[in-house]
Amino acid sequence: MGTQLYNIGITGLNAAQAALVTTGHNISNASTAGYTRQQVILGTNDPQMTGSGFLGQGARVETVRRIYSQFLTAQVMEARTQSAEYDAFAEQIGALDNLLADEQAGMSPAMTDFFDAIQSVTASPTSLAARQSVISSAQAMTARFNSLDLRMEQVGDQINGEISGAVGEINQLVSQIARYNDQIAVAQSTTGPNRLANDMLDARERLISELNDIVRVTQLQQSDGAINLFIGNGQPVVVGGSAFTLTASPSIEDASRTEVSYTAPGGSVLRLQEDTLSGGKLGGLLSFRRNTLDLAQNALGRVALGIAEQFNAQHQLGQDLNGALGTAFFNTLSGTALPASTNDTVAAANVNVTISDSSELTTSDYRLRFDGANYTLTRLSDNVSWSAATLGGVPPAGSPQGFTLDSGATTLAAGDSFLIQPTRNAASEIRTVLTDPRMLAVAMPISTSAALANTGNGRISAGTVTSATGLPLGGAITLTFDATTNTFNVVGGPGGTLAYDPTTDSAGKTFTFAGQGGFTFDLSGTPRNGDTFTIQPNASGQGDNRNLLALAALQSGKTLASGTTGFQGAYAQMVADIGAQAREVKVNQSAQTVLLNRVTESQQSLSGVNLDEEAANLLRYQQAYQAAGKMIELASRLFDTVLQLGG
Amino acid sequence: MRISTNTLYDTGTSGLLRQSSDLFRLQQQLSSGRRVLAPSDDPVASARALEIDQSKSMNDQFALNRRDATSALGFAESQLATAGDLLGTIRERLVQARSAALSDSDRKAIAIDIRAMFSEMMGIANSRDAFGDYLFSGYKSTTQPFSGSVEAGVSYAGDDGQREAQVASNRRLAISDSGNSVFMRAPAGNGNFSLTPDPANRGTAVLDSGSVSDMSKWSDPNNPGDFDVVFAVSGGVTTYDIIDNSSGNSLLTGAAPGGAPLPRVFLKGDTITLRSNGGSEPPFDFGARFSMTGAPADGDRVSMNISSAQSVFDTIGDVILALEQPASGDANALAKTSNAIGSAMSNIDQANDNLLTARARIGSRTTELAALDSLGEEVNLQFETSLSNLRDLNYTEAISKLTQNLSYFQAAQQSFMKVSGLSLFNYIGA
Repeated sequence: MGTQLYNIGITGLNAAQAALVTTGHNISNASTAGYTRQQVILGTNDPQMTGSGFLGQGARVETVRRIYSQFLTAQVMEARTQSAEYDAFAEQIGALDNLLADEQAGMSPAMTDFFDAIQSVTASPTSLAARQSVISSAQAMTARFNSLDLRMEQVGDQINGEISGAVGEINQLVSQIARYNDQIAVAQSTTGPNRLANDMLDARERLISELNDIVRVTQLQQSDGAINLFIGNGQPVVVGGSAFTLTASPSIEDASRTEVSYTAPGGSVLRLQEDTLSGGKLGGLLSFRRNTLDLAQNALGRVALGIAEQFNAQHQLGQDLNGALGTAFFNTLSGTALPASTNDTVAAANVNVTISDSSELTTSDYRLRFDGANYTLTRLSDNVSWSAATLGGVPPAGSPQGFTLDSGATTLAAGDSFLIQPTRNAASEIRTVLTDPRMLAVAMPISTSAALANTGNGRISAGTVTSATGLPLGGAITLTFDATTNTFNVVGGPGGTLAYDPTTDSAGKTFTFAGQGGFTFDLSGTPRNGDTFTIQPNASGQGDNRNLLALAALQSGKTLASGTTGFQGAYAQMVADIGAQAREVKVNQSAQTVLLNRVTESQQSLSGVNLDEEAANLLRYQQAYQAAGKMIELASRLFDTVLQLGG
Repeated sequence: MRISTNTLYDTGTSGLLRQSSDLFRLQQQLSSGRRVLAPSDDPVASARALEIDQSKSMNDQFALNRRDATSALGFAESQLATAGDLLGTIRERLVQARSAALSDSDRKAIAIDIRAMFSEMMGIANSRDAFGDYLFSGYKSTTQPFSGSVEAGVSYAGDDGQREAQVASNRRLAISDSGNSVFMRAPAGNGNFSLTPDPANRGTAVLDSGSVSDMSKWSDPNNPGDFDVVFAVSGGVTTYDIIDNSSGNSLLTGAAPGGAPLPRVFLKGDTITLRSNGGSEPPFDFGARFSMTGAPADGDRVSMNISSAQSVFDTIGDVILALEQPASGDANALAKTSNAIGSAMSNIDQANDNLLTARARIGSRTTELAALDSLGEEVNLQFETSLSNLRDLNYTEAISKLTQNLSYFQAAQQSFMKVSGLSLFNYIGA
């Protein structure tokens, strides 16, 4: 019996010691990331059967258990991957948001200054100083376009770098996870499924959680303790002990963008669809680039393109201080068509994107595909597509997109694909090309006059030039009134007659000479027979500011997005878009933080270490140890009693 | 609920971080005075603000345009006022010159005086603005508009262009007037028709400026507006005929003009009316008439034309030349001088009217500019109010929020210190 008591005492000592060790382990790892608290599970030893029943044989350590919930941990991981995506998105869009926050640094004041400078010339059309200020403020405006776009371009470059970095981290993590999978399988195969390699599981879980911070992965628990991981559309990156790597490489469509591709178990390389890579930092970066940066750059480009095209068109209808027709004020901008790197290299086809009407441009990119018979153009913002047998047939005349396509001297091969970006580069390419203030086309090339000998009170308006056709005017056109037929006989220009009945038309009647600069003028009043009016080249009309007024009117015209908004409006819309997205992601981010805190609390509530609890355990197991020690002392004393009996 | 020690610390620190970032934001708002620090704070307000900013700056620019327009109009107005005064002085001289008591040398002296005023008028018509541009040359602002002399006449080298300025978002206003409209386009004679005695007349008839008694008849499109009144004196009786130059026929007979005696008899001081007297005369009525004093000689003619444009320089030049002609003692020459002075006076009246009209146009534009100015100021105030509502901080609200947040922050700090200080280990082994 004495020996038995000794033995039971020793099992108690051992059990208390194991519990103390585990408590110590918990206390030491209280702040270790990913640590799950452990608990010693004690059991009774098999009892000894005697004639009077079963006698207990003391305690033993069954296992050391991780206090862990698969469900809670999965929730935390999901919350973290989403949170990391918002964080990355918020960080990137914050840069744009701050760039546009200062109204002195944005496009707005530069555009306003430019149009103000134009207005200030109206009072003194011959003042070279005022004309120079138009050119200087135009240069400032184009430089502002360039620098804003450059800043966006830099954000894009930085994202490329971060994508490569993220892919490197992913590759490192998946190979570590695969190694842990191996080790855990080996360790647990000897201990059996009830005795788990707790600390190794924690370490692997920490790595998986880190991987989730970069990109969302789905897990699949295997019976041998390994965890298989999948990304994107279900591409496996970890299967048991093997890891498959991702690659960051220039896009097939646009070499300036870094994309992620996957090397499958068989060795084949698969381009991962951007929108399937969600969650984590990588998901945030890709989604920011796709949903915000591209659109912002396109929107800014559209404003630049609109100003350049429309200002040039009006400027070229004018006449400068030297009496010559206006030339281009800004450079002529065109869209870009990027050939896919998979295009036929023999045909080496080129596509030109010519801007035909800036008011019809959208902020979307387009994809052009040629299947050997038909050209298909797809608008990427809403996937609307058009097909035609000729390149000039897309986009069709019925749904103008503001640009036309041609392939110059080259011919597309079947299977060729192009990424069409009508407005992407406009803001970086816009320049002020007019440098001579004398060449600012302030006047219109045509003026009107009434003969001094006229005896009636008929009047002719100053008129406007509306097209470049037939400019400069070949010579004077005279209109002579014939009271008997109520017509003006036109000599020169289009010739013929103009019907004008003073009794009904004296309030003003508008005429247009389409072939003479589209010259549009009003005749009014009551001319007498033989009264003449002259439409002539505006020789030495340096004091004329009609074209300037037309140029200034572009500022408030609704000439973009199919006539729904103006330059400033389109810019404001872009700012509002970015602001709204930044706001949305901020709101999501704070909501996600709350969610993350909540699920982390629940998970920690189960698996985290509470030092007070451990302190209490420390006391408890210390007392258990002391009690077991006392039991051995008692056994010793009992033995002594027996010995004294013999003495 | 079981709380892990990590949660205790994490929750505490994240709460403190969030509160300090709120405080930082409030502090930024207070120091900048802006409610909206970045577009993301209020995307709609920032876009609205951008558009209002543009409208406001356009409004400011229109105010500058109005200032320029007002000064340009003011400059032109002062030139035209001087020109008007000058015409008034010339007219006074002409009243003097008409006096029968004057000798040839007296008239020459007046002519010299008017010559000086002619040059002064040329100076006004060729005046330049602050930028060195000619005020009255239309679009050809670098071309001198008027050149010539009394003898050779004055020609206009400008055009009919009228410069405009954008003075409000939907209003363009003319800020210049061409020399043509100001100096060249005054209607001749009495404003409806002009009377010109034939230079070869030998009589002593002196014409008045004539008048239109029925405007609707005179301005009828069928009025040819081109007549000759021909006189014949035979047997001591003065008769006359009115010839319609467009047809070449006599108005009074409807047939080709015949010889003396002519259809109507002229008595001294008679009024010649362009209206059928009935009887043998075919019906016609152009609602116009003129009268004359003195006696026309046989074959004297007076042509009567619908008014066309008369240059103020021609008017002054012609009368100077007429005044310089010797006339004393020659009744016919005196009558010619009188006629020249009379016609010049009515032309000057018309020119003055024309100048006054131009000045009235300028005046009404200036008035409109002033009205637009006060409207622009009101609009500006509205823009500023909207901008302020969109962007600016409500200080009272922000400061009270700051005080509130500060006390929350302090409470969070203190409670964190208290809670984190609790540990069972403090009591073990004590």
